[in-house]
Amino acid sequence: MKVDIRELGQFNHLASQGAERAARSLSQLTGVAMDVEVTDVSLVTENVLAETFTGKSFVGVELGLEGGLEGETVLAFERERALMLQDLLLKATGSSDELAQSSVTELGNIMIGGFIDGWANHLGEAINMTPPKYTEAVGPRILPDQAIEAAKNHGVFLFESKLKAMDVDLDFSIYMLPEYRQFVELLSGNEGNQIPVNRLSAFEDLAKEGAGNAAGQIGMMTGLDTDVDVSRLRFVPLKGVPRQVGDDRYVGVVFELKGLPSGYLVVLFDEESAKTVASSMMPGDTSEEEIGTMTEGAIKELGNIMTSGFIDGWANVLGTSIEHTPPNFVHDMGSAIMSPVVGKLGTQQEYAFVIDSTIEIDGRQGRCDIYALPNERELARALSALPARG
Amino acid sequence: MAKRVLIADDSEFMRNLLREILEADFEIVGEAENGVEAVDLYKEHDPDIVMMDIVMPIRSGIEATDEITDENPDAKIIMCTSVGQEEKMKEAIKAGASGYITKPFQKPNVLEAINDVIPA
Repeated sequence: MKVDIRELGQFNHLASQGAERAARSLSQLTGVAMDVEVTDVSLVTENVLAETFTGKSFVGVELGLEGGLEGETVLAFERERALMLQDLLLKATGSSDELAQSSVTELGNIMIGGFIDGWANHLGEAINMTPPKYTEAVGPRILPDQAIEAAKNHGVFLFESKLKAMDVDLDFSIYMLPEYRQFVELLSGNEGNQIPVNRLSAFEDLAKEGAGNAAGQIGMMTGLDTDVDVSRLRFVPLKGVPRQVGDDRYVGVVFELKGLPSGYLVVLFDEESAKTVASSMMPGDTSEEEIGTMTEGAIKELGNIMTSGFIDGWANVLGTSIEHTPPNFVHDMGSAIMSPVVGKLGTQQEYAFVIDSTIEIDGRQGRCDIYALPNERELARALSALPARG
Repeated sequence: MAKRVLIADDSEFMRNLLREILEADFEIVGEAENGVEAVDLYKEHDPDIVMMDIVMPIRSGIEATDEITDENPDAKIIMCTSVGQEEKMKEAIKAGASGYITKPFQKPNVLEAINDVIPA
């Protein structure tokens, strides 16, 4: 089965609009101003679903789709956030606790409606929704069985929109999982632009392996325990990337990749992690109060080695050669670091595959985020040449 | 005399919200949780207007609208739903709906929609 990357972009665009409608609905019902930070789509495996959902309690609103798009879909709220929403909704209507489930169910119904409408109008065909059902579960069990089954067999497309409240602490994600087979058919587009869908999963595995190598290299150079926490291949609108990285301050390095595919790779540490990692790389008890030349040197060196570990695997599997420029040291807000990268890529493409990997350092004491943004067309070309997975 | 309204929505939350919006100016003659109840309550009360959700269990709002307008082509039914698809709107109009509002709505939207269908 093959997908046209431009169709994936189109559906992502519609999902972004849907998320914005959903945010407006939520604002109207609760009185809380909401904004959509980013909507991305990724083809996720069972392992990624587990990484995304495990350890959290969810409240879900599940409904079936028939017609232009079929399958089960769920809108999942983290339980704590759902309870806050219930409080806001019940305050708005002055109703009793008995209505709590009904209020969240209706909210989910309205929000999913916002997503589905755009897709239906794009398809020129009605998508019928079955009545919404309230569910509660821990971990991936919040998802429809068929989505978990599809993730096991070949992966499933997961749309995630991150919503941010303007004045209160009510940030949360909403997740949508259309039925795999039919959705892939909708993405088939033009033959000339198609990539076999299983190559995306293969590339995600490759990216995860690269993150594992990079984590190993941090461990080797610092003596600290490291582990890959999350690694996802996301398809995102480029303009959403800086917001996704956020306004916290980071220390890191930016590399330009040259070869097939070209692009950018950014390695970011939060400030404390950068100091910890840098001091661990130095002999004796050396540390800096502020980010200074010692930290800069250490992070550049580490970034260099991590980047090679990250991209060598790509080059070997894709049968290409990828080189990278010397590290460009950065110390700024995440969004400010990513904006120039996005600006350069944005002259050639509107959407990007972003490989987003988080490495835990020394338990959960520190973290490192790696963002790889390959040129979309070049990556598609390279993926088309990949051998099919068994 | 206040106009008589029937509310049909499977969500208790949404029925309450609509009741709060309408009860000052209208007489609420009944509340239905599905399309079958909506048809039964319509026959029982013959309301001036029905506020009808589309996605409901047992029988959808469009099917219920079709059944009501088959018996009474002059029935005034406003679809109030989270579904804003053009194709669905066409289906609702074909079934005999007089108006359409999209959730979430606020009091002025609801009153305006009703006024468009049954001017005061």
